[in-house]
Amino acid sequence: MTKPIDLVQGTLDMLILKTLALDPMHGWAIAQRIRQVSKEVLQVRQGALYPALHRLEQQGWIKAEWGESENNRRAKYYSLTRAGRKYLEQEHANWERLSSAIGVVMMNPVTGNK
Amino acid sequence: MRWLNKIGMRVRSLMRRERVDSELDDELRFHLERQIAENMAAGMLREEARCAAMREFGGVDQIREECSDMRRVNWLQDFAQDVRYGLRMLRKLPGFTAVAIITLALGIGANTAIFSIVYAVLLRPLPYPHPDQLVSVTMADPQAGIPSNGTSYDNFREWRDQNHVFTELAAFQFHQLTLIGYGEPLSIDTAVITPGMFSVFGVKPLAGRTFVPADGNNGAPAVVVLSENLWRDRFGSDPKIIGTSITLDKKSYTVIGVAPASFRYPPLTSTEHIWIPLQQDPVFGPWMDRPGGHWLRVIARVKAGISLAQAQSEMDTIDARLAKKYPSENTGWVIRLVPLQQQMVGNVKVALIVLLGCVGLVLLIACANVSNLLLARATSRMKEMALRAALGAGRARIIRQLLTESGVLGLVGGALGVLLAYGSVHALASLLPSNLPQASTIRVDGAVLTFAFALSIVASLLFGLAPTLFAARSDLHTSLKEGGRSSEEGARHLMLGFLAVSEIALAMVLLVAAGLLVHSFLTLTSVNPGFNVQGLTKSEVDLPLFEYSEPEQWVAFSDELLRRLQALPGMHDTAEAVPLPLANGFINLAFDIVGTPPPRPETVRTGDFVSVSPNYFRVMGIPLLRGRWFTDQDRDSSPRVTVISEALAQMYFPNQDPIGKQLSFGLPPAGEVRREIVGIVGDVRDVGLNQAPGPMMYAPLAQSPFWGTEIVVRSTLGPASTLANIRDQAHAIDKDLPVADVERMSDAISASVQQPRFRTMLLSLFGAIALVLAAAGIFGVMSYSVSRRTHEIGIRIALGASSGNVTRLVLTESGRLVLIGLAVGIPSGLALARFLHTLLFGVSPADPVTFLAVAVVLGLVALAASYVPTRRALQVEPLVALRHE
Repeated sequence: MTKPIDLVQGTLDMLILKTLALDPMHGWAIAQRIRQVSKEVLQVRQGALYPALHRLEQQGWIKAEWGESENNRRAKYYSLTRAGRKYLEQEHANWERLSSAIGVVMMNPVTGNK
Repeated sequence: MRWLNKIGMRVRSLMRRERVDSELDDELRFHLERQIAENMAAGMLREEARCAAMREFGGVDQIREECSDMRRVNWLQDFAQDVRYGLRMLRKLPGFTAVAIITLALGIGANTAIFSIVYAVLLRPLPYPHPDQLVSVTMADPQAGIPSNGTSYDNFREWRDQNHVFTELAAFQFHQLTLIGYGEPLSIDTAVITPGMFSVFGVKPLAGRTFVPADGNNGAPAVVVLSENLWRDRFGSDPKIIGTSITLDKKSYTVIGVAPASFRYPPLTSTEHIWIPLQQDPVFGPWMDRPGGHWLRVIARVKAGISLAQAQSEMDTIDARLAKKYPSENTGWVIRLVPLQQQMVGNVKVALIVLLGCVGLVLLIACANVSNLLLARATSRMKEMALRAALGAGRARIIRQLLTESGVLGLVGGALGVLLAYGSVHALASLLPSNLPQASTIRVDGAVLTFAFALSIVASLLFGLAPTLFAARSDLHTSLKEGGRSSEEGARHLMLGFLAVSEIALAMVLLVAAGLLVHSFLTLTSVNPGFNVQGLTKSEVDLPLFEYSEPEQWVAFSDELLRRLQALPGMHDTAEAVPLPLANGFINLAFDIVGTPPPRPETVRTGDFVSVSPNYFRVMGIPLLRGRWFTDQDRDSSPRVTVISEALAQMYFPNQDPIGKQLSFGLPPAGEVRREIVGIVGDVRDVGLNQAPGPMMYAPLAQSPFWGTEIVVRSTLGPASTLANIRDQAHAIDKDLPVADVERMSDAISASVQQPRFRTMLLSLFGAIALVLAAAGIFGVMSYSVSRRTHEIGIRIALGASSGNVTRLVLTESGRLVLIGLAVGIPSGLALARFLHTLLFGVSPADPVTFLAVAVVLGLVALAASYVPTRRALQVEPLVALRHE
């Protein structure tokens, strides 16, 4: 019953971790932040965020605490754990390598044997 | 520590599911409310804002489920829920549940009980340190077809001194010594051993000490080690007994220690026994100086790190050396190392494996039957499954639920089966042949419970798989339609038929095995032993050799005892013989025919030798064929005479009259003596009922005396008064003589067939269970078939089919099942029966009578099982049936 971890999901995980690297946040704020930062290009279906958050918590990359929200409501705040930070750095490096490799492939002019 | 945290979280999720659920709800609600607020701030109306927020969020329930999934606790909750549901289903259908559970309990219980025997006898390591290092060192003469024999003391000493592969070697023999001074004189099983025996096994004494090498020196004081049970029963566990003397065969031995009950080697039948050093035994002590002979059994412990093959090759080298040194004794003989456990298990291994295999078949039939029941129940659950699927349960989820239910059924059945096994192991143990090795360690322990548990799980999968796959396959559409008659049902019917056929085939195999054993057992027990068993009782009296050392004393004693016994009322037909047939072993002696050249060494002439009182043949009912019986005039002072058996006459005197010819044979003190043949008597099966009678020769006790005697009485007096008579008369001669319990000859004979009786009984029981289960299977299939064809039968009846037609309709179908089952079962039975051939006596594994009988029985049972379904078919009302869907 495990869901295949496709690129989209992997990407979502990374976006969440990256977002939490700055400050602890609750789910709604994370969704807003991702949308703002990605200049509305990446639209996360809001519901999909929560299973991802629970999975990351399960894996120990992030931890959750209940706290007061901006409007004085009880909200669940997520923050990056040390292991999560290390994982993010690692994934970041991987991503850089991958995207530069893809970049090289895409930028090179196609040479055919015309 | 991440994993610790994770476990903590998972446990928290499980333990406080409600709280975790409500936290999740809070979290999601917070999100939605923020989004609604945001939307309203952007100018939407409240209701509009709410809808937009929900739309953007997605299905709340679905998300909540996904979050739970992420916490990976769902399967555990599902499992617990499935188990609860499974239990509820079982409670709701008590009839189905009872039948299924009893079937499984029988199957698993029988397997567990048999496994506990197999485990104790074949698998559980012997209760000594490093049991795999223990080997039996035997001699074999492959050319003469002697697979295992003992050795001489000379050989033993050379083996012990020359080898570099054993930490210790010990030799042993058995004897019986008479203990007096502690109640009734008692004949004690005595292990006559070299001192190294205890260190071979690494046995620590319970009290005192065991033997040291010095105890084996010539001239060392006589010492004895007691078994724990003897110490407890005869000496009240008195620690002060150590250091004192006890009298064995009227000689004084100092008790030096007590060995724990767990140490039972060499294997004696009685648990009340003793160990004495070899040179202290009145019989075997003097043999140590004699060259040759294969009278000592040897056991050894291989050094750590030395393989059996290495040890064997070292012994081969030593053997070659000894063959040069003692050519007359060792030529042709080789040394064979056999792991002790393998040697102890010996001949029971095949029987146990056959039993285990057959009881496994019983379980397979039981599983097929439960499968049958589950399939039948699956019909009534079709709609439930369709509903579950419609509500979103995945195929895998449904399979998991159904398998969990099967598992619940299997485990409940298994638990009951273990109880059954626990109860029956005690009953089984009392039926077990007393000579089964390690039988005292049979119990339901951790290993057996693990086996039962594993078996329950395997059985659950086995019987659960087919019904589960069928249920999970049902496609929504047809199932939801009321009474949808689809290809589903055809397939299910086929499956039921397949199960019934398998049951018949398996039952056939099992019944063939049981039938062959029963047939063999009947043949064995109805075989004529060569004498008239009715009304015979037997007993024996031993003479202490230290006091009765002269053969004249032995003769005087046996004469005196016989004279006194015959004088008592009802005891006139009393005779003596050593050894009695089928009781205490036999004495096989080489003999020469005087006046003919000695045979080549490999064709040495041997016969079983018995020393008898003159009236022995008459009392036993052994017919005289030619010549005469012994008389009171055949004394020590008169010419030596012998009576031979018919087999000996035919084998060695074909076409001639043996009467008047001379044979030369005998045991010390009347060794190689020429004896004239004066008579020929009928053959006797003296070794075992299953052994064809071989050549035998008899001599008068007066001319071939023994220390002690065995008594046989043909009388209408019961065993109790016979025993009282023998005891009184023996004690009137010498109050310190041990008299063994009187036993009916028929009991002694049935004791000699304990092992075949035990396996025949068990296998018959399994066969009976298999038959009942197979009948239930056929009944199930036929009932289902009739109910499925109600409509068709109704039409037939409406169109004028007679009750004969209808009966034929039903019986044709069950007949087809039986025929297919037999078609599979007969060749399988033939193939598997070959494994039985070593267990069979006088019956071929392909015995046509047995196969035919089994096939007929199965056919009749199938007919009986179809009776109720047929009646139901006959009672079909055409009008009702036509409306029946």
